[in-house]
Amino acid sequence: MIEKLEQIRLEALEKLQQAKEEAEIDEIMGSVLGKKGKLTEILKTMGTLDKEKRAALGQASNAVKKELEEKIAQSKAKVAEAMLERKFAQEAIDVTEPGKQVLPVGRLHPMTQTYRQIRDALVGMGFTTFEGPEVELDDFNFTKLNLPPDHPARDMQDTFYINDKVVLRTHTSPVEARALMELKPPFRLVIPGRVFRVDEVDATHSPVFMQMEGLVVDKNITLADLKGTIDTFVHAVFGDEVKTRFRPSYFPFTEPSAEVDISCTICGGKGCRVCKNTGWIEILGCGITNPHEIENCGLDPKEWKAFAFGIGVDRVANLKYGITDIRLLYDNDARFLKQF
Amino acid sequence: MKLPRKWLEEYVDFNVTNEQFVEKMMWRGFEIAEVIDEMPGVSNVVVCEIKSMDKHPNADKLKVCQVDIGEEELLQIVTAATNVFVGAQVPVALDGAHLADGMEIKKTKMRGEASFGMFCGSEELGISEADYKGAGNDGVLILNEKHPNGQKIQEALGLDSVIFDIELTPNRADCQSIIGICREAAAALGQKFKEPEIKKIEGVGNVDDYASVTILNEELCPRYTARVVTDLKIEESPDWLKKKLRSVGMRPINNIVDITNLVLVEYGHPMHAFDLACIDGKKIVVRNAIEGEKVTTLDGKEREVTPDMLLIADAKKGVGIAGVMGGENSEITENTKAVLFESAVFKGSNIRQTTRKLHHVTDAAARFIKGVEPVNAQVALDRAIELVDMLHAGNVIGGTIDVCYANTDKKIINVDWNHVNNITSLELTPEQMVEMLETINIHSKVDGEYLKVEVPHYRVDIEDGIESDWDIAEEIARIYGYYNIKPTLMQGDTLCGKLGENFRDEDDIKDFMVSMGAYEMYNYNFTGPQELDALLIDKDSEKRQNVKILNPFGEEQSLMRTTLVSGMLKSLALNLNKKTGHGRFFELANVHFDNNDTLPEERKMLGIIYSGQNEDFFTMKGSIEQLLNYLGIKGYRFNVGGSEYLQPGQKAVITLGDDVIGEMGTVHPKVLKSFDVPQKAFYAELSFKMLVEHRDMHKTYKAIPKYPVVPRDIAVVVDNDVQSQTLVDVISSTKANGVIIEDVRLFDVYRGIGIPSGMKSMAYSFTLRAEDRTLTDDEIKNAMNSIIKSLKYKANAELRS
Repeated sequence: MIEKLEQIRLEALEKLQQAKEEAEIDEIMGSVLGKKGKLTEILKTMGTLDKEKRAALGQASNAVKKELEEKIAQSKAKVAEAMLERKFAQEAIDVTEPGKQVLPVGRLHPMTQTYRQIRDALVGMGFTTFEGPEVELDDFNFTKLNLPPDHPARDMQDTFYINDKVVLRTHTSPVEARALMELKPPFRLVIPGRVFRVDEVDATHSPVFMQMEGLVVDKNITLADLKGTIDTFVHAVFGDEVKTRFRPSYFPFTEPSAEVDISCTICGGKGCRVCKNTGWIEILGCGITNPHEIENCGLDPKEWKAFAFGIGVDRVANLKYGITDIRLLYDNDARFLKQF
Repeated sequence: MKLPRKWLEEYVDFNVTNEQFVEKMMWRGFEIAEVIDEMPGVSNVVVCEIKSMDKHPNADKLKVCQVDIGEEELLQIVTAATNVFVGAQVPVALDGAHLADGMEIKKTKMRGEASFGMFCGSEELGISEADYKGAGNDGVLILNEKHPNGQKIQEALGLDSVIFDIELTPNRADCQSIIGICREAAAALGQKFKEPEIKKIEGVGNVDDYASVTILNEELCPRYTARVVTDLKIEESPDWLKKKLRSVGMRPINNIVDITNLVLVEYGHPMHAFDLACIDGKKIVVRNAIEGEKVTTLDGKEREVTPDMLLIADAKKGVGIAGVMGGENSEITENTKAVLFESAVFKGSNIRQTTRKLHHVTDAAARFIKGVEPVNAQVALDRAIELVDMLHAGNVIGGTIDVCYANTDKKIINVDWNHVNNITSLELTPEQMVEMLETINIHSKVDGEYLKVEVPHYRVDIEDGIESDWDIAEEIARIYGYYNIKPTLMQGDTLCGKLGENFRDEDDIKDFMVSMGAYEMYNYNFTGPQELDALLIDKDSEKRQNVKILNPFGEEQSLMRTTLVSGMLKSLALNLNKKTGHGRFFELANVHFDNNDTLPEERKMLGIIYSGQNEDFFTMKGSIEQLLNYLGIKGYRFNVGGSEYLQPGQKAVITLGDDVIGEMGTVHPKVLKSFDVPQKAFYAELSFKMLVEHRDMHKTYKAIPKYPVVPRDIAVVVDNDVQSQTLVDVISSTKANGVIIEDVRLFDVYRGIGIPSGMKSMAYSFTLRAEDRTLTDDEIKNAMNSIIKSLKYKANAELRS
């Protein structure tokens, strides 16, 4: 009987070895361990044996049963693994085929991106956003800012007129006047918006463009504070390696006034076409707010000092991204917009 | 403002390089835009001496010369010139030289003989007789004096200097003159400016016998000075004068005109010369023009003048438009025997208005607009008379006519020097300030807390008033050097920086549109009547209430837009026609309505445009719904309606209670055609104000449902004209014993076999749940029955069998 048992064991093990499908294994299992299985048949004969033999056969057959059960489990696992591999092979895909883009990726306009960068740097320095109308009173756009009617410096900004009292604002500075009249100092404001000048469209001119104004009003504001503020945000926008240069200049609404250059972002200051070989690029105008403006807006210029600066967002965007034609900013060509 | 370096050198010791000068002037607030060579474009041209000259073996008209350019070996030059001779010194352009006309010279072979350069005439060098004696002759330029061979031609001709082109700021009208700018240049170079002394010419006789001046409008003409010169000799000016005028780009005319022009350049004060014989009654009257009066100006144009314009007149007629241009009737001619030199002050703002009305700005007018001052008027007149005397141009009559209403007293201002330190963040002593101001010829002295500053007459930009401290602070900062001021960070109360609410909403809305795959546009704010017509906008529509620009580029850019659609359609057309591969765009910008208030109504709008194979009304609507949901706006409805540029039957107005949030729809095919858009497009315009107003910013946490939701579908058959929204409303509002009915969504519409004609089947999905329990089968069944009943009862919708 023991020999027969061994024979069943070996036969089953060999079959298991060769089994490829789960069904085969089940069949083997049935043929050995099932109700009519060979091992079961042997166990059925046990009753006819004497006690000793019965014990020996019982032990031996249990061992075989246990071994076979383990082997069956192993074989099943192996077959399952092999099946999974076959399935993977069948389902293999070309990973280099393009992905499915359910929605296109949208883009913010480079001007918006630039504006946000400057703005966020200023907000970090305690500035708050503020805005005013695009169609503006001549009084706010010019007169209150120390530019009375027929002041020669009015010719610095060619103006679109709606009537003799109303203009398309030529800069964001009228909002300064509005803020000075509306808000209680001290305050620090950043004022973005569209502005308009009678400039025929070409590579460097646009009748509509975007400006940002900074205005700080406090008791002890100095030229050195203005320098420090501008240095800080220029570095935030253009990087720490960029140098700034403050040159004396003139604006009717500030005194002393300055124009600020940064070391050329294209050539790093060595000189190139963009910076006309000077190594410097002008990015903004600024100064200590003219006392006439402070007074015109109802504050005492001896008590309240202010400084202001105005940045062309278009210009900064162009410098940042190396855009050489301002018209691209208003063409809205997707091939341009998707680059940012 | 052109400043020839040679002219500057008359006043200062130019001991720096041009580059250094440019930088020094920059730090003083004078930007030099360009440094222009006196012989622009010419390079690598040198002096050579012709040592031998032989006939060309193969060409009768050519000569082969050996020339000395100061090197060991002679150079061979082949020439066709006929005026050259052995021993002559001439300019030779060497290999690689550039000439005034842009031509580049290369060594070459001429009929078999090598030529290593080319002899130059004055034309090639870009010079004239005024630049160099003999330059007016034809042929090669023969040098007049002996020069070292090989010397640069610029040096040999004395044209090796440069002209600085300076960009002046409008506050420094005084620097629009050689004297003024040299004063600043001297200070920039750390030198004392030697103010030129003008010799006062007394003259003989009495000017009152020759002319008189009356000012009838002293506000517009605060000073009028004049002198008379008789026995005129009108002739060409001497070379030095012509050269000077040419060097600043002026054309010499004759000695009298040239004198006034030179004074304009030197002192920045415009003058005028009248032929005294043409002045009726020997009387100059400065008066406003009379209604309907006409003046023919020097350029031969008859100009209508209006009563707000100031004229120079005589006893009978206008002889010039004050400060703008003289009259033809009193012009200096070859026959002029006696002349009246006018040096007056006219009010800049009035001149500005006059030039605007006449559409004519002259050099003189430009100066008056920038501002001239009364003391300088006298200085200029003295200088002109000195020049008349120097040039022996005529007989100077004694005495000066001077009608002066202007204040010519010395202007002394008090400046709080502590305040100057405060503004500039410097810690200077008042004595240091006095010393610094002295370098720009501003005399001052310390008087306790104040500086008593004597403002030079030409510094009209320095004010006696609240601005004084700031004016002097600016001078001090400029002299101290902006670069020397150490940057600091602001002191004082720390302020909390933040984005204003509108700015945050703007960011959120833009970011959301980007997440919908849209690109952001910036379009111009202008539109025109044709464009409004192309948009099919009704004549009486609010969208025709455009703000009109008085001075537009043209009719089609003469209005401020009332809708973003036209700009967006144009940009979409560009993208589709250039096949850029993108069809989703948005713009957030202002539109303006003229509502008869002083300022127009400004509305910020969100425009959205979609176009492409996968786009339709509902992809656009989906984006809008998602935007509104994202902003937490609830209870909005889409109702039939919308603007004329949208297609009837495919447009909707989006409302929330009584508020209109915006509209959307398919763009009208006629509009697409007008705007050259080759395919269907879908457009929406939403009010930023409404989006912000209804935005839910006060979100509070609501518990996530604890009990399971039960998804259910239902399909009903209704009349074709029943709107989906009606059925959604019926389903969601069904009362079913505490069962919550949510997320009602249409998922299928079917017309056809099995459905009676004129009817449609509408299938909805929704969820059922209860707040406090798991729904039982019975509860679900009852809820479904309630829904079916209310659909039937309220919408005449039959359950589809």
